[in-house]
Amino acid sequence: MNIEKNTEKQRLNFWEKIYLPEIARGLGMTFVEMFKPKVTRQYPEEVWNPTGSYRGRPVLVLEEDGERCVACGLCSRVCPALAIEVAAGETEKTKERYPIKFEINMLRCIYCGFCEEVCPEEAIVMSKDYDLVFEKQEDAILDKDQLLIPMAQLQDRLEFLRQYRR
Amino acid sequence: MEQWLVQSLVLGLKMFLIVNGLLIAAAYLVYFERKISAWIQNRIGPNRVGPLGLFQSFADVFKLYLKEDIIPTLANKGFHAIAPVISIGIAIAVYAVIPFGEYFYLGGEKVYLSIAPHINVGLLFILGMSSVGVYGLTLAGWSSNNKYSLLGGLRSSAQMISYELSMGLSLIGVLMISGSLDLMQIVQSQTGGQWNIFFQPLGFIIFLVSAFAETNRTPFDLPEAEPELVGGYHTEYSGMKFGLFFLAEYVNMVTACAMMVLLFFGGWDVPFLYETLGLEQGSVLRALVQFGVVVGKMIPFLFLFIQTRWSLPRFRYDQLMSLGWKVMLPLALANIAVTGIIMMIFQ
Amino acid sequence: MPQIIIDGQRIEAAAGKTIIEAALDNGINIPHFCWHPALSVAGNCRMCLVNVGSIKRAADGSIEHDADGNVIVNYMPKMQIGCATPVADGMVVDTQSPKTESAQNAVMEFLLINHPLDCPICDEAGQCKLQEYSFEHSKGKSRFDEQKVHKPKRVELGPEIMFDGERCISCSRCIRFADEVAKQPAITFVQRGDKVTIENFPGTTFDSPYSMNVIDICPVGALTSKDFRFKTRVWEMSFNDSICTGCSRGCNTKVGVRDNTIMRIEPRSNMHVNEYWMCDHGRLTQYDFVNENRISEPMIRNSSGQLVNADWNDAYAKAAELLRGIKHQEIMVIGSSRSTNEDNYLLAKFAKSVLKTNNIDFVRHFNEEFGDSFLRTRDMSPNAHGAMEVGIAHHAHQGTSIDHLADKISQGFIKAVYVMDEDIAQIPNIAAVLEKVQVLIVHAHNINATAQKAHVVFASSTYAESEGTFTNVNKRVQHFTPAVVTKENERYMGMKMSRWDKFGAFNDRWTQGERRNSRMSWRIVQGVANAMNAQWHFKDSESVFEEMTHHVDGMKGMSYELLDEYGGMIMGRAGSPEVKTVVYESHYFKPQVS
Repeated sequence: MNIEKNTEKQRLNFWEKIYLPEIARGLGMTFVEMFKPKVTRQYPEEVWNPTGSYRGRPVLVLEEDGERCVACGLCSRVCPALAIEVAAGETEKTKERYPIKFEINMLRCIYCGFCEEVCPEEAIVMSKDYDLVFEKQEDAILDKDQLLIPMAQLQDRLEFLRQYRR
Repeated sequence: MEQWLVQSLVLGLKMFLIVNGLLIAAAYLVYFERKISAWIQNRIGPNRVGPLGLFQSFADVFKLYLKEDIIPTLANKGFHAIAPVISIGIAIAVYAVIPFGEYFYLGGEKVYLSIAPHINVGLLFILGMSSVGVYGLTLAGWSSNNKYSLLGGLRSSAQMISYELSMGLSLIGVLMISGSLDLMQIVQSQTGGQWNIFFQPLGFIIFLVSAFAETNRTPFDLPEAEPELVGGYHTEYSGMKFGLFFLAEYVNMVTACAMMVLLFFGGWDVPFLYETLGLEQGSVLRALVQFGVVVGKMIPFLFLFIQTRWSLPRFRYDQLMSLGWKVMLPLALANIAVTGIIMMIFQ
Repeated sequence: MPQIIIDGQRIEAAAGKTIIEAALDNGINIPHFCWHPALSVAGNCRMCLVNVGSIKRAADGSIEHDADGNVIVNYMPKMQIGCATPVADGMVVDTQSPKTESAQNAVMEFLLINHPLDCPICDEAGQCKLQEYSFEHSKGKSRFDEQKVHKPKRVELGPEIMFDGERCISCSRCIRFADEVAKQPAITFVQRGDKVTIENFPGTTFDSPYSMNVIDICPVGALTSKDFRFKTRVWEMSFNDSICTGCSRGCNTKVGVRDNTIMRIEPRSNMHVNEYWMCDHGRLTQYDFVNENRISEPMIRNSSGQLVNADWNDAYAKAAELLRGIKHQEIMVIGSSRSTNEDNYLLAKFAKSVLKTNNIDFVRHFNEEFGDSFLRTRDMSPNAHGAMEVGIAHHAHQGTSIDHLADKISQGFIKAVYVMDEDIAQIPNIAAVLEKVQVLIVHAHNINATAQKAHVVFASSTYAESEGTFTNVNKRVQHFTPAVVTKENERYMGMKMSRWDKFGAFNDRWTQGERRNSRMSWRIVQGVANAMNAQWHFKDSESVFEEMTHHVDGMKGMSYELLDEYGGMIMGRAGSPEVKTVVYESHYFKPQVS
């Protein structure tokens, strides 16, 4: 592109240079917009149901025989906001390791989804929960009981991951 | 009753009505600003506080009153406190000379629809007051002891001074035609559809543009340009002090619209209206209709102010200055010259 | 000496060295699993395959060149393992060519065929040789479609060791260690082919006092520590150089810390002291007292006889006030063979120049059963030699010794006792008369019987929170640094903390590891001395050590820097240090980048 040719002087014709007709055109455009249908959703009454691609509150997948998580700590390591803390313990199951403690500090969480991406067991996934309200700082630290969600409720996300995750 | 007492009572009542009317009008302008911006953006806008969200502005003001009033440690506390008062005070003081109609007789007493009628420097008073208004912003910016505030304050003073010139000069044509500085007389000189807009179209455009600049509205809201200056001159203000700046901006907007109506659009004049309705000079009804006409004429301009804000982007600072000094000022001067020549020819 | 060329680099290597040793001496790392410098060569993992050849020469002995002018090398038709091929003059070794790389790739693919790839569960992840080489020498894909072989998991090979047969790559390092170093041949291979696994000989268990070293040398996660199992991930810990305080050998260690709590202790190689090893006792007992049952604030006994937390300056003033009320020769000062040279030096100086007493001694900790012919010594305290050298010693016919302390107290000759980091109430005859002592001032890191009887208790830092030097059984002075954060060393530690400790905020639950308000003993001594108008101004441990090098004969010419460089120096021989040795780390944890 020739920059010399693209100066304001050369680009605009006389009417454009005196602004006023263009301003009128602009005002006309916004005026027309005023009468178009509104897109606002009245939130608390009309609840939005996100699709599988939505990254809401990270949760742990709960299977019939307990959680999938093996407490490998990769989510905790990759978390750029240091929101996740994991402490591991030993079980008698085939997967010898399980989280004794799994806490996500939702005040730190930035919903980047790295934890889900790095998880080798597909045990932590982003859910559809978006209306998170906490009255105390301590309440915002979710422990394992609050994080474990039955697999049936996470089908959309798991399906999404199955399709699009490499 | 003694006459001075009656006059004082009437005057007090008028002042009370004007001030409160203005503040309520400003509050509802905020509401409509939010509504119109929402409509332009295909949204609904405030609809939760009261029916159709009509009480939203009062809730906002109530909130501002309850908020903590923060004064920065290093601020010049006296000026910091007085700056918003100057702003809103000057903005309202202008209404001393603005007439909303002629007069009516109330129990033999002649009541003008203006606080100080027949002041033969009325227009000068308005222009002078709006010059003083810049002190509020500049002081606010300077006393906050914050670089962004200071820059905002400096910008506002530079902008006001630059555009005041073209604003004042654009009105010279009107003065030449009407031959008076008294707003009442200026309006009366336009009676019968001889509105100044038809004789002074260029003057009106210059005045309109300058009015946008004087009221710090987009596209000339450089003093509070958020991307560059955080909040501009009111960065360090919170609570109702911030609220006063906010109100002053909207009161100034009303002033500008009132001036446009009075100076260019014949004020309360609508050809044949009063004759058709058979309203006598001095009747209460006629005064009310006049008031209604003035307000009715102001509404499209207020709408223009609001719509412009949500349509046009902000000017760059150098563009603002070059527009003011290199375009507006020469045009205003040319306008005076041409008006003078034409008047000479037709006399 | 034979000259060889490795990757175009001309190297001189002593005759008899293998290729891998010669390469390592010159900073070239040939990937390997089964080879370990301290163990015999097994040559069974095949990871160190390299291309070996010699330069082609014409009949007259001149070097032949190809058309482009490059030297022609005659490589052997088959590749050689670097760990078992001795160097020979004129040998050309190639560790980088496509052929070598394809061999390494192939070996990795074979090793991974039956490996369960359960890194998320495995404790070794993060410092695993197999993982590292998978990144460097593997395709990242397996062509193996069949069922993997299943082998016994969670087998207890010894009281401290858990074995996972599936993860094992059959390198035999553990077997060779048991045979050659621990001298307890209790484990061996059984079965053959892909069914091969490791078992105890019938009726035996691998319970050597050095058994846990197999966990360190195991290149994969097949052998894991029952003590550490699943406690934390490797990368969540910070590792700081320390010295084991279990006995007077002074094995060099790395202390793994997370949440300001010691998670494990592992050996750090120092060829002059502990080579690559340390004993299980040191590993398992030297962190509990740092983590638990601590005194975290200085305490003063109040008028109602209760020990209450106090401000440091108040505690110093109280101690000074109490000591002023006692005659000089009625004060007994007890140093500690468990404290650093710096602590003991300043205590001795305090006793001589401020308290003006010559009643100085320390408690010996001998245990004849503990010592052995390898690393463990009968003296179970790390710094007895150092304490004596810096002046904490009883001279015959001068002052009171620890043996006569009980008598002197009961006779009323000793009215005040100043104890540094020593639980003298453990000595029965002293415990019996401790009530008679008018002033008992104690430095203690754990709540013990002596501290409970004291009038002033100073919260002292353990070895893991201090910087200083220990003098080991061979009079080797070794420098160590803190690993656990206290309020005293918080700024010094800075970026040496683990990620969690570094970035924690007050509302994060995971930083609940306590930052204790303890101080190094020498600083406490300085505080009490200054409260008695001594006016000492030692800033850090190094400044105390600097003064020691002028006043203590054995430490002349030493500095922390030199001690770090030479892996410690023998007392009195700072002028002629031993040769620096090449340090080999079997597999190391790459420092985290946050």
